[in-house]
Amino acid sequence: MKTARIKMLVIFVAAVLMMLLPVQTVQAAKPIVLGLPLSTAFLYGWAAERGVKLAVEEINAKGGVDVGGEKRPLAVEVIDTRDLEPGVPVSDALLAVEKLILDKKADFILGGPVRSEAALAAMSLLSKYKKVSILTTGVLTPAYHAQVAKNYDKFKYCFRIHGEAQNLVGEMFANFGELKKKYGFNNLFIIAQDVSHARGAAEVMESVAKKKGWNVTGVEIYPTGATDFSMGLLKAKKTKSEIINIWMDMPESAILLKQWYEMKLPALPFGSTLAAAEQPSFWKATDGQGEYTLCNVVNAGNAPSEATPWTMKFYNAYAKRWGVEPEGLGSSSSYMAVYVLRDAIESAGSLDSDKVVTALEKTDIMGVYGRLRFDPKSHQVIPALDPKDGAVGSILQWQNGKRVVVYPKSIATGEIKLPPWMKK
Amino acid sequence: MAITTQRRKERIDRGINVRTEGIYALMSIKELSYLAAPRLVLIVGLLILPLLLPDMYWKRVITITCIYAFLALSFDFLAHFVGLVSLGGAFFVGIGGYLAAIANTYWGFPPWLTIPFAALVGGAVCTLLLFPCLPLRGVYFAIVSLMYPLFSARVIEALDIFGGTDGIMGIDGFSNHFVEEYAPLGLLLIALFAIRRLVTTDFGLVLRGVKDNDQAIRASGMNVTFYKSVAVYIASTMGCLSGAILVHIYMWSGISLFALDFSILPIAATVIGGSGTLIGPVLGCFILVPISELLRDFGTLRIVFYALILVGFIIFRSEGLMVWGQRKYHQFERWTQI
Amino acid sequence: MDILIYGTINSVALALYALGFAMVYGVSRLPNFAHGALYVLSGFITWTMLNSLGLPYIVSIVLTLIITGIIGAMIYQFVLIRVRGMEISEIIASYAIGLAILEGLRWGGFRGVNYTLPAFIAGSTNIAGISVDYQRLLVVAIGAAVVAVLWLFTHYTRIGLALRGMAQDERAAMMLGIDSDLMAVVAMGFGSMLAALAAILLLPLGNVVVEAGYNVLILAIAVCIVGGLGSWMGAVLAAFLIGFAQILTVVYLGAQYQMVVAIFAIILTLILKPSGIFGQQKELEERV
Repeated sequence: MKTARIKMLVIFVAAVLMMLLPVQTVQAAKPIVLGLPLSTAFLYGWAAERGVKLAVEEINAKGGVDVGGEKRPLAVEVIDTRDLEPGVPVSDALLAVEKLILDKKADFILGGPVRSEAALAAMSLLSKYKKVSILTTGVLTPAYHAQVAKNYDKFKYCFRIHGEAQNLVGEMFANFGELKKKYGFNNLFIIAQDVSHARGAAEVMESVAKKKGWNVTGVEIYPTGATDFSMGLLKAKKTKSEIINIWMDMPESAILLKQWYEMKLPALPFGSTLAAAEQPSFWKATDGQGEYTLCNVVNAGNAPSEATPWTMKFYNAYAKRWGVEPEGLGSSSSYMAVYVLRDAIESAGSLDSDKVVTALEKTDIMGVYGRLRFDPKSHQVIPALDPKDGAVGSILQWQNGKRVVVYPKSIATGEIKLPPWMKK
Repeated sequence: MAITTQRRKERIDRGINVRTEGIYALMSIKELSYLAAPRLVLIVGLLILPLLLPDMYWKRVITITCIYAFLALSFDFLAHFVGLVSLGGAFFVGIGGYLAAIANTYWGFPPWLTIPFAALVGGAVCTLLLFPCLPLRGVYFAIVSLMYPLFSARVIEALDIFGGTDGIMGIDGFSNHFVEEYAPLGLLLIALFAIRRLVTTDFGLVLRGVKDNDQAIRASGMNVTFYKSVAVYIASTMGCLSGAILVHIYMWSGISLFALDFSILPIAATVIGGSGTLIGPVLGCFILVPISELLRDFGTLRIVFYALILVGFIIFRSEGLMVWGQRKYHQFERWTQI
Repeated sequence: MDILIYGTINSVALALYALGFAMVYGVSRLPNFAHGALYVLSGFITWTMLNSLGLPYIVSIVLTLIITGIIGAMIYQFVLIRVRGMEISEIIASYAIGLAILEGLRWGGFRGVNYTLPAFIAGSTNIAGISVDYQRLLVVAIGAAVVAVLWLFTHYTRIGLALRGMAQDERAAMMLGIDSDLMAVVAMGFGSMLAALAAILLLPLGNVVVEAGYNVLILAIAVCIVGGLGSWMGAVLAAFLIGFAQILTVVYLGAQYQMVVAIFAIILTLILKPSGIFGQQKELEERV
């Protein structure tokens, strides 16, 4: 008994030591470490991880980053923050960010945290350690760049390279306006998930819609993890809504779309951050029931289009490297963040945070989803409708098993179609 | 086989253990050190821990561990000295955290004021809110206390108060590292020894009576609910304290303060450390939280390992490390003929 | 009318979530916090058999029921039986097992929204002007059948009677020669099968995701507590109570209060009548 116990103890101690070892080994060449705090079990997490890794591999294959004359490779440290999971406190994600900074010696933070709440909470931490961070996935809350603008000196290290809720709203209304003109739609029903960015977006949608003369027939906010949307959908049906605007990134949103199909609801499901519908596998998962679903994937390059010459190059490289096409929000933006950062480091000639911040503010390159520039005050990427002017969004519709980009017009490959039961 | 059936192990108190039980312990250095050694090892060990750890990150892990340790201590105190199994550690953290955040951002209190404020007032708030449930026993109290943090989070979410799901930002951090590392450690040690002292007083005796036989306490003309609520106040004050510290460390507060992890992890630590020993749960935290951090490199597999370690402990060493350690320290075992 | 129809569907779904939990608790006084994990696990087992092994749907369903039942029984036989009677250890151990299953599935690649089970019968129909899909009607029909079968089983078969005996008075049951450990294992097996059944019926409505495990657990607990822990028929009645309460909340208050209602029901029930609305009052056991 006793020896067995001691043996177990020895094995345990050895196991713990072995886990410690790789942390302590020092690599010979000094790479620039990119820390990725991501919720790796979710689409927005792994899409970002893949995007970053693809870009890092491409850059390293060309010799790395030129820091003041010295060529240095890039290294990626991914850490699982679990911040999209329920029941996990944000402090856990924050500890993960600190681990990246303090333990993994990350020079820059890219990607997440993915959940808006966690990203907001991490801002203070980033300013405390003076680490430059570029958000590339998931975080849509306008509060993020509003904070940077409000308290520039403190939060100037925070950048965001993908679109946020406000331009998403703008993009959607451009489409709604067109639908109104074409089919005479006037009734809008909004369904949102009960998390800050979606709720905020739903409120903005409602007020803008009313201003623009839409009849908002209802706003339903479902708690995360809801599995029955029938009452909301029935309300939409009763009020003769013609568009259902969905703000939901939880996987249960697939239930909503299935219910929509089963009810043959005469309203167009128009989603944003509708993680379920972004992925190429959505078609198979719903047996085609999700046809006609519209979905804003935030940035071009997450779905096939010809926004810039780089778009399809990226799209194909990604598909080749990972065996799956770019799946949704976070793929192209994470990829571009690495290139933007490389340029900034090279023009700053050092890894010094303040110098890199200044260099990032001067960023102006033609990327996968258009011309990339940061607003110097809020550090939010500047959006545009034409890839020549700024970062373009991308709204796709599922048509006959394919993701067809329908907006913006400058890069569109098709037009919005209505389901057969809606045609009058 | 024949031999083992005729022998058995017997446990006998060490001589020194018996000698140190009375006042005579004061007579010799050897006996004094026998008594003081474990306590000194704990105090000194905890105090030099931050100095031994090389990098900032592990120092931060120690601070987080302290936060869980407060919760584990409060759980152990309630469960094994009062008989209230509270699965609502997250409720205390949330109330304490939000109070500190509100006091700091809305009213401009500095951290050295918000933390005691959140602890003392938070304790009162928790006690008041839990008051209707205090007569409940056993699993009923456990489940109702588990629901409290879930409920609070959903209420803040649905009503969109205190920053809604965004949380409250811009809370002051600690001004210097030294305070940030040692304030939680020092407070933890004070709380630990205070509770140890408390449970041996007359008041503690009544509390244990409440646990073992509440009808007898009632028959003695004492108000059981009153004693329970005082105990809950003490426990929730510790929980709120940890919540307030957490909020100031991360300069942020939000509904995830009510997360299930804050309820479950301290209980797991108690199971591993040894329930009813008060020190055990604290040690359990100092084992579990760092292990969880070491496992972080495994990504999502981390939680699987973690859960399996927990199950293993519950099944194969359900008494807990501290009970086992105490037995080894105070007693020796030998084989005897039957 | 729509409230009535969808309230019924929602209630039956809740009852299905809760029955397995109620059964295990009723027989062996074990709060099985791995219930949600078993629910999700069986969804993935069916999916694997259907898509990776290419078995016919009906075969996969039957096999899944059996496998989940065995897994549940094994969890009890090898792990939980050792902590029997220690409430806190039971909760932690079963929760930890559930956690290991759920996070293990996630690690094993079962993540995202790609995992869906086909509906038994596709399409929908109109009832009094409200369109309802066949799968939901089927859920109601099978749910009612399950409750009926369960009632017959516990009243007219030897094992069923033994289980009920255990639930009512364990010592007396032991005196009558009922093997209480064996019955507890059997109960856990049946409880897991009920979880699997619920999963197979309800998952085709949406997709199989790990997160569902946590929600199912909370809803199952909510129903069981309001109905009275351990009372099977109480659980069914409570499912209707909470089910309709939720639907009414969505209609008149707003969907964001849905969860608040469920949790508030638990807290209120526990404070006012801890043994649940339909449980027998055991004053001394539950409060001072």
